[in-house]
Amino acid sequence: MSTADVQLIDIVKEFDSGGERVRAVDSVSIEIADGEFFALLGPSGCGKTTTLRLIAGFEQPTRGRILIRGRAMQGIPAYHRPVNTVFQDYALFPHLTVEKNIMFGLQMEGVDKREAQKRAQESLEMVRLPGVGGRKPHQLSGGQQQRVALARALVKQPAVLLLDEPLGALDLKLRKNMQYELKALQRDVGITFIYVTHDQEEAITMADRIAIMNAGELLQVGSPKEIYEQPNTHFVADFIGETNFIAGELRGRADDGYGAVTLANGAQLRARLAASLAAGSRSVTLAIRPEKIAIARHEGAPAATAGITQLEARIIAQQYIGTDTRYTVDIGGGIRLVARVQNTGAIAADTFAEGQTALVSWSDSSATALDH
Amino acid sequence: MAAPGRLINEGALGRNRALRRLGKLGLWLNPAAAYFFLWAPILILVLFSFNDSRSVSSFNGFTLKWYGNILNNVMGAESAFSTEIMLNAFRNSLFVGTVATAIATVLGTMIALAMARGRFRGKGLLEGLLFLPVVIPEITQAISLAIFFKVLFDWVALMSGERIFPGFHTIIAAHVTFNISYVAIVVRARLADMNPQLEEAAKDLGANPWQAFWRVTFPLMLPGVISGALLAFTLSLDDFVITFFTAGVGTTTLPVFVYGLLKLTVTPEVNAISTIMMVLSTILIGISLAIQGRGASRI
Repeated sequence: MSTADVQLIDIVKEFDSGGERVRAVDSVSIEIADGEFFALLGPSGCGKTTTLRLIAGFEQPTRGRILIRGRAMQGIPAYHRPVNTVFQDYALFPHLTVEKNIMFGLQMEGVDKREAQKRAQESLEMVRLPGVGGRKPHQLSGGQQQRVALARALVKQPAVLLLDEPLGALDLKLRKNMQYELKALQRDVGITFIYVTHDQEEAITMADRIAIMNAGELLQVGSPKEIYEQPNTHFVADFIGETNFIAGELRGRADDGYGAVTLANGAQLRARLAASLAAGSRSVTLAIRPEKIAIARHEGAPAATAGITQLEARIIAQQYIGTDTRYTVDIGGGIRLVARVQNTGAIAADTFAEGQTALVSWSDSSATALDH
Repeated sequence: MAAPGRLINEGALGRNRALRRLGKLGLWLNPAAAYFFLWAPILILVLFSFNDSRSVSSFNGFTLKWYGNILNNVMGAESAFSTEIMLNAFRNSLFVGTVATAIATVLGTMIALAMARGRFRGKGLLEGLLFLPVVIPEITQAISLAIFFKVLFDWVALMSGERIFPGFHTIIAAHVTFNISYVAIVVRARLADMNPQLEEAAKDLGANPWQAFWRVTFPLMLPGVISGALLAFTLSLDDFVITFFTAGVGTTTLPVFVYGLLKLTVTPEVNAISTIMMVLSTILIGISLAIQGRGASRI
């Protein structure tokens, strides 16, 4: 995981759309390490698939450079690149059997037929589909076709495997299983995976690192934990999981990366300043995850301590959602927050009724101050 | 809102029931009438080709003798035509059809590929022009081709002193012109149904554009090509108007031959030949449609 396997250097891709230049990818630079499971995450139209197609060689960048294992890819057509793709709708050749689909890539390399057959067989076993080699793709289920597409790409032993929303067409349960299997498979083969998805949960559960894109721009790259716990922008905080956003005034910055923020209701608190926060920003948005907010009764509540923000609140609504209960609370000045409390069942008194007053608290490190 | 105590409007229910019955009757009657108009004349032709009488107004019993006459060289009451002439016309038809189909299939397929995959200026206009031979009246096309050949041959005669006469080459050229459109349209439809990612997948797996075309694109579009070719062959075999206007001496095709027979009188033999031609065309079109349908399910 040390050497860079794929490098994108200041990549720009523009398309002509009705006489207008549309920027699908805007100055994106990414370094992906060897053997890494790397997810490109973003809403549809954010440029993630275009980025993948640029790496595959189906599109040429308008500007910038792509390096695979240090070799510049400019002018190298898709069929000479050391990458293989698993397409969203699998793109299995409908006129060929499963075995011939998998052998296709090997035969293009000049591998002889017997050897190609043997390796196709092994590759089908690897994706746990032995014995379907003689069938046509349309005789397989969606999940099976997905595995064949994977086998067809992996049998080429590429430096990098590109996956374009490969689980998008599968139903939820199958998708969960395949997530687990794909991750295990990637660990086994040790090939760098670049995985495009719009499903944040999928990215978080599978990837070593995630790059979040929106409107062609790369917003943040980091481990799932970094992305979730320390979102850099309003968009990232909003796109990944559920977040409370509160407008606030930044009164001062401390050296430890924290700042003093005043809310519209006059409450004073400390919050972690996002790395991307502009130097002169005064008016900020606080992002706090609902599960980071604790609710307690006045009596017996722990005394306010340093590093904890504690505020008076009134319960507005509660919603039971199985594992958790979602409370909507009002902390005064019309500011409403959502708090998620896990239903451990340990303390029956931990349920709160609508209209009741209580104390809400969170750790200062759980509140991130962002630009709007 | 229903009146209190009345759960369902019984009157409206009854009226709607009657309407539904009427609708069902209409749904049955409408296609029955349409199919009657479509098929009645053809059925009468087929029926009278088995009529044991020269009359075209009364059916006197079943016979195969008109079909026998065709084979046994006894044509028409006056026996003005021999089977040999008819078989010769049939051979001419097959020759024209085969050559015109081969040329039109290659050219039409290439146009379809350019339309489906190419990105160039004026593509929309070219695509529209492709449909022109399908929609303009056949007689217009026939006359324009006849004039075109005349002008062309006059010009050649002027330039080289050699006079070219109409013949198989003019009929074939004319058939190619209208068949290109039909082939291109059928192949184009096939390509439009094809997942363009399949070609990308081939390249992704290391196939250069040439290999990707022959190993993936071509096998997948082949049903469209075959089906287009069969359609072209059928149209060529059946064509009368354009052939009539572009034919020369000694190039009589089967439809032109039948027309010649008709000028004398409608004989039962004509009915028999027409029935044979119809069956042949139906089989070819049937195969063409079956190939298109079977292919579409696997794309």
